[in-house]
Amino acid sequence: MGDKKFMKGNNAIAEAAVRAGCRFFAGYPITPQNEIPEYLSWRLPEVGGAFVQGESEVASINMVYGAAAMGTRALTSSSGPGISLKAEGISYLAAAALPAVIVNISRGGPGLGSIQPAQSDYLQATKALGHGGFHAMVFAPNSAQEAVDLVYNAWDYAERDRNPVFILMDGCLGNIMEEVDLPPMKELNDEDIPGWALTRRNDPERDWQLSLTPIYTEEMLEGLNAMAGEMYKSWETEDVKYEEFMLDDAEYVVVAYGIASRVSKEAILKLREQGYKVGLIRPITLFPFPKKVIHDLDYSKVKGIIDVEMTLPAQMHDDIALQVLERCPIYEYGRSGGCLLDDDGVYEALLDIVSGGENNG
Amino acid sequence: MAEYKRSSLIASAPSGYCPGCLHSLATRLISDVLDELGQAQNSLNVISVGCSALNIKYWGGDFLSVAHGRAPAAATGIKRVNPERLVFAYQGDGDLAAIGLAEIMSAANRGENFTVIFANNQTYGMTGGQMAPTTLEGQVTTTTVNGRDPSTTGYPLKMCELISTLKAPAYVARFALNSPKGINQARAGIKKAFQLQMQGKGFTFVELLTNCPTNWHLSPLKTLEYMDTNTIPYFTPGIYKDCEVDAE
Amino acid sequence: MKQSFVFSGSGGQGIMSAGITLAQAAIDMGKHATYLPEYGPEQRGGSAKCTVVISDEPIVSPLPRLCDNLIVMNELAYKKFKDDVKDGGVLLVNSCRISDPDRRDGLSVISAPVDDIALEVGNDKAANVILIGILIGATDIVSEEAFKLSLQEKFKNKKPGILEMNLNALAKGIELGRHHRK
Repeated sequence: MGDKKFMKGNNAIAEAAVRAGCRFFAGYPITPQNEIPEYLSWRLPEVGGAFVQGESEVASINMVYGAAAMGTRALTSSSGPGISLKAEGISYLAAAALPAVIVNISRGGPGLGSIQPAQSDYLQATKALGHGGFHAMVFAPNSAQEAVDLVYNAWDYAERDRNPVFILMDGCLGNIMEEVDLPPMKELNDEDIPGWALTRRNDPERDWQLSLTPIYTEEMLEGLNAMAGEMYKSWETEDVKYEEFMLDDAEYVVVAYGIASRVSKEAILKLREQGYKVGLIRPITLFPFPKKVIHDLDYSKVKGIIDVEMTLPAQMHDDIALQVLERCPIYEYGRSGGCLLDDDGVYEALLDIVSGGENNG
Repeated sequence: MAEYKRSSLIASAPSGYCPGCLHSLATRLISDVLDELGQAQNSLNVISVGCSALNIKYWGGDFLSVAHGRAPAAATGIKRVNPERLVFAYQGDGDLAAIGLAEIMSAANRGENFTVIFANNQTYGMTGGQMAPTTLEGQVTTTTVNGRDPSTTGYPLKMCELISTLKAPAYVARFALNSPKGINQARAGIKKAFQLQMQGKGFTFVELLTNCPTNWHLSPLKTLEYMDTNTIPYFTPGIYKDCEVDAE
Repeated sequence: MKQSFVFSGSGGQGIMSAGITLAQAAIDMGKHATYLPEYGPEQRGGSAKCTVVISDEPIVSPLPRLCDNLIVMNELAYKKFKDDVKDGGVLLVNSCRISDPDRRDGLSVISAPVDDIALEVGNDKAANVILIGILIGATDIVSEEAFKLSLQEKFKNKKPGILEMNLNALAKGIELGRHHRK
């Protein structure tokens, strides 16, 4: 018997984090993610955790850095402008090999952008979460339930890899209320605290030094960079996640993640009713990107790929193009700036493409 | 009479500090006090960026090295999830009073239960002697080649004075490391700050006036005289806040 | 069956609350529902809008362009959203603030003095419950019983008078809505 609740996406993420064993949160107010800190401000103390409202996003991510160094499952959340400020700390987490989870409930951009939802941070999340050429695994849920499931397991990946994990979700999904089935509370003990953590537990007689640092000699740093490269490669074979929808006979394949994938699915169902062979590939991990499934499509049948995103211009385009290799055209459709995708808009755009323009006026 | 011996938390490796640099003395004092309090094993040094980061080479105790200016934020995260450890940050003046001003003031204002040791030598040592927020008026640096001009760069920031305006901090004090008397006072101040932390009294702040022979372009001995005539008159040593005295 | 609702007005008119309680009632009936709020940057008095989708099946997209039921509480929202309701849909307007709603062909228009009824009931915060009452009276999207249970749950820790006042508001809304049942 699950624990079903009608919950806002942001609150669901917060509760899932607590049940995943998260016991530290630091963050700074920014719309549209405010429910996450608000929820955790009362929820974490209930389970013996700590909540700090930081003086800035910069401070908050560094508080997370400190808590993560103690082996505590730590979380921070923000939206685009705040994620830019967290870039420093995320890079340091990667450098010091510290696990933590960072959530971006994204909005219109660039700059202050708009407070309304947009998928404007794909490139930041997948290519440059900070300086120095590192990557974090990036999960992109498309429902409150999937957000719960991914956040619930996020620290397992982070601790396995000793690397930050990033959750990218737009303001629609952050603010939507849906029914979610909450998983049970993970009970973590002292034995679950990683051995590298700077705690003093269990060994008062310890005679060795515990230290964590993002500073290395040239040779060590080169070695760590190379190891990171190997890790990213292994993610591609071991950890890539995506959903296929009506793909088998598809002549047109929509690639969309997050909220865009749901609006696209609705449009695809309508097009199927009219006999159009349209399918969907939905990346769930944006990094590692599901390269193979796009690369291995049967391009003797597939007439076009359609990149649907709630941002302009489409940011996934280059990642798709590297797999399509000019074997078919890549179309784009999107809305941006906080203007939302809608069922009819996506349907009309897809229809225009799959009907070869014959529906134009 | 104290026994003279190697401090347990100073590793046997070259410090990397320039000859005559008081950073070495400052870290030695911290280590001695931790030994004296039986806290060497329990201590966690949050190492900042700048010459203070050379600590990672020779600090023999547990440490976490963090980003420039962010030590008070990282220490907040550490102490909130692991309150048993004795936590201190060791920060220089560029780190603490410029890029980390928000972090130090906010951690102090929250009354976080850790200690910040602030080494103030009025310059960015590691990057080559640029102007720091604490650089004295008229002081020549590599970014104030004609001397610091307050009309465009403002005045040297007095951190003890700033922090002691806050209600939360338990202990705020400044000591000069250029004389045996100052050194003894500093040792007592660091001890007091750590003891207050162990009692859970909240934020403690110890500023140590130090030197930079290399970037001040003075011999080590001359730097000590310079501190008497220039630094100390501006940055007045003393106890700015003490919750035990204030409570009486 | 899938039905979408857009509630719109200004902040403080109970728009969001109406959407949430409707969606919650649908879930209590074993249906699926999504609720999506859209805010302006103002904390008070700005525009408020929310979209609710209710369905017997899991909901694929929560972002319809046109809704089946448009509920508008003031003139500004009316001007902004009046074209967002499907042909054949329901347009429910607060006649205290919107004097002359569009009566395009195929649209079922319900013009109800929501503010006045709220005053009658004794609390202007009851407007959201009145709106749901009207929808319950006019359509079958949620049952009266399910919604009453939702209200009882929502106000179980409040003073007893609050629940009664809301049940009263609900009854008045339902009565008004029944006159518009197709």
